[in-house]
Amino acid sequence: MNTYYQSITPLLGEFSWDQPISDELLQFQLALAKQFKIDFGKDVQEMRMGFKTLSILWNKEIPWMEIQSWINGIADRLELLPLDQKCWEIPVCYSASKGKDLKNLAARKNMSMEELVSLHSSPSYRIHFFGFLPGFMYLNGLPEALHTPRKSVPELNVPAGSVAIGANQTGIYPSASPGGWHLIGTSPSVFFDPNSNSPVWAKPGELILFNPITEKEFDLLIRHPQIPNLK
Amino acid sequence: MKSISNLKVVKTSPGTSIQDLGRNGFSEFGVPYSGALDKRAFNWANHLLRNQENAAMLEIMQPGFKAVFETPALICIAGAKASCTLNQIPIHTHGLIRIQANDVLEIGAFEQGSILYLGIKNGFQTEKILDSGSWYPGITPKFMVQKGDTLPYTSVDPTFFESNSSARWNSDLYDSELIEVYPGSDWGLLDLEAQGAIFEKRFTLSSLKNRMAVQLEELIPNSIAELPTAPVFPGTVQLTSGGKLLILLRDAQVTGGYPRILQLSESAISLISQKKPLQKIRFTFLKN
Repeated sequence: MNTYYQSITPLLGEFSWDQPISDELLQFQLALAKQFKIDFGKDVQEMRMGFKTLSILWNKEIPWMEIQSWINGIADRLELLPLDQKCWEIPVCYSASKGKDLKNLAARKNMSMEELVSLHSSPSYRIHFFGFLPGFMYLNGLPEALHTPRKSVPELNVPAGSVAIGANQTGIYPSASPGGWHLIGTSPSVFFDPNSNSPVWAKPGELILFNPITEKEFDLLIRHPQIPNLK
Repeated sequence: MKSISNLKVVKTSPGTSIQDLGRNGFSEFGVPYSGALDKRAFNWANHLLRNQENAAMLEIMQPGFKAVFETPALICIAGAKASCTLNQIPIHTHGLIRIQANDVLEIGAFEQGSILYLGIKNGFQTEKILDSGSWYPGITPKFMVQKGDTLPYTSVDPTFFESNSSARWNSDLYDSELIEVYPGSDWGLLDLEAQGAIFEKRFTLSSLKNRMAVQLEELIPNSIAELPTAPVFPGTVQLTSGGKLLILLRDAQVTGGYPRILQLSESAISLISQKKPLQKIRFTFLKN
């Protein structure tokens, strides 16, 4: 797997990969990040993941050559660990009242709302990293039939817990926010707890599954929001 | 002997918050840094107060602030140059300012800069969440100071501290138009015409500015296809699909989907934060 390293500022660098988003690439990114921490941990302030990138914020200047030769030496010997099979089951109420774009999106796709829900809740999705909002998971695995361009004018207020589709991605808004994705349902679960030092319950590499629930079940669960269960 | 008393906010415009040096080490959960927009001014005020470097301060982004100190205190004002009064008498904002019980501080028009820091001996004693006192929506219970709020501080006898220091924050540096940048991760994806325009143009700050980002008015031709979501940082300059440049500030999200064209130096982030709408800037390139 070809890995590039680019220095941006004296203290900011970035690894990047020129290949499709996949489990294999994620596996490689996680393995590289792990080995990198072992070899350079004390000089590193922070690491940040993207779909095809891994940014490094340094504590001190490290010459570009040193990192490039580290990659050249390590790339073929990296121990790729299998991705976690841990799967979180996220309850979602898919309905016109809990997902205001569900009806329109189904019509646009020439399918019934039931078909859309079934397509969305069948596959498991891989968590790649967190970003956008505290506790927002970037997921890979949305069936191609559901890919939809983002709204041209974003909504000013997408409610917390909204499950949405935007371009080739699906995700859950952990808190209320402006947003341009199509809203198809709402989850009553907790996705971010600022009062805990590990404020999210899942990790990159793990899986999630959307589990359809009724309005009644939603009304019960929302009274005492909890973290999702493992399948 | 420390006793806690309150600063009572009588009046404020939007954009007033408590900030420290920010929330480090939580980006893996999607949590932004936050923290003082102009770290230079923030650090200077804490230095003068001989505070811990992370002591929390009030960050004020618009004129029209008025507050009453319950008990004696020692304060320091840095950042924007503004006309300030204490009990309706104009005061110089040099050095440290001694406050007596029931003193009323008012902050009026900003002459230079756009963000003012009100530091206080030992810092404001507001709650820390995820290791930081910086306010941010969804993390801290509040994200803006409102009329009627009370902000706790430790009362001190101000006569105990020398306040004859005439050291004064030099806001003249806010007049500089030059913003230091490095080429960003996606600079190489721009065509030569777009790169040239970024080198040469004088850009105008738009009125779209908050703690997350400031947008520039001029358009840059953008022919770059949509990119997979990637890390961004305060100081990252994104090129939106509409061709606008968006300079990310301290509350920036941890990842973004637009091409990352430039990266500001640390001091340039402080400088751009102090700029007002309609002010001009030019980018000056640093060698990495």
